[in-house]
Amino acid sequence: MLANYLIGLREGLEAALVVCILVAYLVKTERRDLLPRIWVGVAIAVSISVAFGALLTYGPKGLSFEAQEIIGGTLSIIAVAFVTWMIFWMSRTARSLKGELEARLDLAAGAGAGALVLVAMLAVGREGLETALFLWAAAQATGSTSQPLLGALLGLGSAVVLGVLIYRGAVKLDLGKFFTWTGGFLVLVAAGVLAYGIHDLQEGGVLPGVNSLAFDFSAQIPPSSWYATVLRGTINFTPATTWLQALVWTLYVVPVLSLFISSVRRPSPAPAPTPAPQLHGGS
Amino acid sequence: MPHRTAALVGAAIVLCLASGCTDNPSGSADGTGAKVKVSSTDDACTLSATTAASGSLVFSVTNDGAKPTEFYLLGSDGADVVGEVENIGPGVTRSLTVQAEKGTYTTMCKPGMVGKGIRAPFKVTDT
Repeated sequence: MLANYLIGLREGLEAALVVCILVAYLVKTERRDLLPRIWVGVAIAVSISVAFGALLTYGPKGLSFEAQEIIGGTLSIIAVAFVTWMIFWMSRTARSLKGELEARLDLAAGAGAGALVLVAMLAVGREGLETALFLWAAAQATGSTSQPLLGALLGLGSAVVLGVLIYRGAVKLDLGKFFTWTGGFLVLVAAGVLAYGIHDLQEGGVLPGVNSLAFDFSAQIPPSSWYATVLRGTINFTPATTWLQALVWTLYVVPVLSLFISSVRRPSPAPAPTPAPQLHGGS
Repeated sequence: MPHRTAALVGAAIVLCLASGCTDNPSGSADGTGAKVKVSSTDDACTLSATTAASGSLVFSVTNDGAKPTEFYLLGSDGADVVGEVENIGPGVTRSLTVQAEKGTYTTMCKPGMVGKGIRAPFKVTDT
């Protein structure tokens, strides 16, 4: 049961983190009116994943291995583009908040409103199909034992609880710290998702080098341990990482984090040139 | 919003039908598509067959151990991944569907998701 619990926790954390930060951000900037968009995005992602998963599990058609890897990999890379956009959208709004341009905030929120649905949808949906397939498989086992399904659901539930706790912690931070920490953290999350997507595409045979490992800490950090689960669920750290994953991760983190730090440090809210979200490497 | 949901579900199904869907073993009317049962424990990887006819091939992998496991179908060199299914928790059965061409392959269970895995040769013959 513990093993199934940890799988549920990991898959749940991956989705919950981005959503919770997004919610904390909207609450923090007094944009509670936009919250329904987040829930709509989450609801769409969950219902599509569950339905598609059921169709593939019980219906006449299954999904080929390559197709599943390509869906997961492509959605992950698209999710990275949106999360990156979100990081800079948040830091831009943060700067206009520190200044006095109330109207600018409204403008930024208005422009981002439609995309909010998409960010929430992608954050939950990118691995939604894999999670749904895992859950349906656990449900199928219920004939003989209910342990797997129970474990998986408890894991998902724990991820939601952790997400709520992170949200509570985040909203208590003062505004400046909030933007710096959540933004910096999201850069690491996005980089992890990007590396994960690359690995999916490597496994699916779209990208080469699935067996060229840059490092392998599987002996020191057993993938089935709880701490590997937390590392994987948050920043998508995999104990065995390929060279291509490591390269793309670095190519993303270095410029995006530098851009983010310089945008946070910039003191004046003057109509600064908006840093364009950049997606490096990958496709 | 219901329209958008419907559109996305539709798009997903179209995508599925256009690209990556394969027949589920239980649902294929003509009975083609070989099915191999795999039992993965913490120290063994037992297959119900070590040969199969080419075409749609389904490995139904049950985790009879205590650690989470993964199952791979590798090329004859033992390196190229032909197919993989992960997140098989204890007590859970998951399927890996591949289109297998004639040739020799390597099957591998990876209990605990570490190490070189438990490997064995697997042969796919002409139909």
